[in-house]
Amino acid sequence: MNAGRIDDGLEREVAALIAREAMLLDRRRWDEWIDLYTEDAVYWVPAWANEEETTTDPETQLNLIYLRNRGGLEDRVFRIESRDSYASVPLDRTVHLIGNVLVESANGDSVEASANCLVHVYGKKGAATRGSLYDFRFRRVDGALKIARKKIVFIDDRLEGPIDIYHL
Amino acid sequence: MDGTAYRNSFRDLVDDRVDEGVFRVDRSIYTDEAVFEAEIERIFEGGWVFLCHEGQVENPGDYFATEIGRQPVFVIRQKDGSLGCFINACSHRGALLTPFRQGSARALTCRFHGWAYDLGGRCIRIKNEEGGFSEPGFSRERFNLRRIGALESYRGFVFGSLTADVPPLEDHLGAAARWIDLLAGQARNGLEVVPGSSTYMIRGNWKLQAENSVDGYHVTTVHRVFASTISNRETRDATTGMRQTESGRIKGNVPTGAYDLGNGHMSIWALHTTPHVRPIYESKDWLEENLDPVEADWILNRGRNLYLFPNVMLMDNPSTQIRLMKPISPDLAEVTVYCIAPKGESAAARAARLRKFEDFYLTAGMATSDDVAALEAVQDGSSGRLSRWNDMTRGLSDLVTGPDEDARRLGFEPAGCCPDWDHEGLFHGFYRAWLDRMENGAR
Repeated sequence: MNAGRIDDGLEREVAALIAREAMLLDRRRWDEWIDLYTEDAVYWVPAWANEEETTTDPETQLNLIYLRNRGGLEDRVFRIESRDSYASVPLDRTVHLIGNVLVESANGDSVEASANCLVHVYGKKGAATRGSLYDFRFRRVDGALKIARKKIVFIDDRLEGPIDIYHL
Repeated sequence: MDGTAYRNSFRDLVDDRVDEGVFRVDRSIYTDEAVFEAEIERIFEGGWVFLCHEGQVENPGDYFATEIGRQPVFVIRQKDGSLGCFINACSHRGALLTPFRQGSARALTCRFHGWAYDLGGRCIRIKNEEGGFSEPGFSRERFNLRRIGALESYRGFVFGSLTADVPPLEDHLGAAARWIDLLAGQARNGLEVVPGSSTYMIRGNWKLQAENSVDGYHVTTVHRVFASTISNRETRDATTGMRQTESGRIKGNVPTGAYDLGNGHMSIWALHTTPHVRPIYESKDWLEENLDPVEADWILNRGRNLYLFPNVMLMDNPSTQIRLMKPISPDLAEVTVYCIAPKGESAAARAARLRKFEDFYLTAGMATSDDVAALEAVQDGSSGRLSRWNDMTRGLSDLVTGPDEDARRLGFEPAGCCPDWDHEGLFHGFYRAWLDRMENGAR
């Protein structure tokens, strides 16, 4: 087995990073949030292909969000901070609750992990709680783990209100 | 005001006095329960509605489950290759027959008591038939599924009506058919619906979605932030080729127009400033060689939104879209969006089309979410009954009755033309058709 050792230290580091991302989103510290990602980070929220399966190939199938580098996240923050987006003024309030963090593999500088997330949203039209499955790939850059890929399976459909990066 | 007061006076809700410079609609048309109930009965369940694209029911047994008004139906490709559409309910005790919104079946078997129907809706199996229907002369035929009244396709787009008392589909589409041609005609191998869809709820009346889809006037306010975001991106990333977004229309500096296409159908267009970044541009030579030059020019150089009364929008702007709408209640509509694309386009064009779609056309995107917020604000504001009217007179003095030069050249007969998509004359046709249907039922 080539996989690197998954020790308690790595598990704690990964859990803290995922929790940190949630905290930064809920507290709208957008620039620090973006800094958690590598320049070439892929941020992917597939669409549902049918009731049971999501789409699997962003090149040929539709997604809710598919951003090919960190610039895509910057676009989202640019729009939110402009205060010119109808859907983002006033901004919904959110609480992310992360659970079930599992480090799946570690290979050199690359670490893969999964987690679940419930996001409680309160906005103009009331409250909702929605669920997501997270799949992360991290890369160690200058000693620190960064998010190189995040796939979010957003399990809800018949979506009410906007779905932006802070809702996911 | 008591909604029932409107039952026989829908005319009071549309103040159509264009000769006196007045066209306005009563805001209760967005909020009133009695108005909504009449719309379901007379508009959605009383005439043609869009159902699906033929590509979604390609092979025998493929089905697509949807609703006409409030009534569940499914479209199915029958054994002989033709399409059928039936009420989606077992003839026995009424359970839905389709486990999925879209799927494929050799026969439709009810999962409640095991009755089964063939692809033509004939009842072919009753569980323990002999033990329960032993009377002489019993025939399963009395349990065949109920077909809807009318079902027709136009260039791959499938429409149905619960009632058979409707004009031929081409008469219903009228001038709008030519606009469907522009979408269907650009695909030399036909169009396909790309896998994946998104369904979202608008906490607003269905007519607000209809209006918004062909309202050019909101673009430079509601989507100003989309344009600035994209402009920031393209400067930052030095974006080239099909990854660029055509945003001239959003900045409001291009020629535009709007049409009242008759029968409640409407459309808008805007000239593309950078047509070469559009996925269809790779077909430029083929289009110019094989299509009427005016048609090819419209396909390549004009972004277009088409609203087909009452429940579908076909968009060909940054990307290509079927937007299917279902009214749920006066203040709630369900919308499902699909990306539709030419079969066999290059991998680069397909990927660019999808990215443009995701950027703009989803509530997880950076434009449709803002549209939905705007519609919901209108819904909320419409409860302010002391202020009664929505004004739709912008551009009245420039409104042309009948075709303009563009319409004559492309070959369609609109009821009215606006020389700028900022104008609101197209909505007059929508509300006249609405009123006609509310007063007279199916046409």
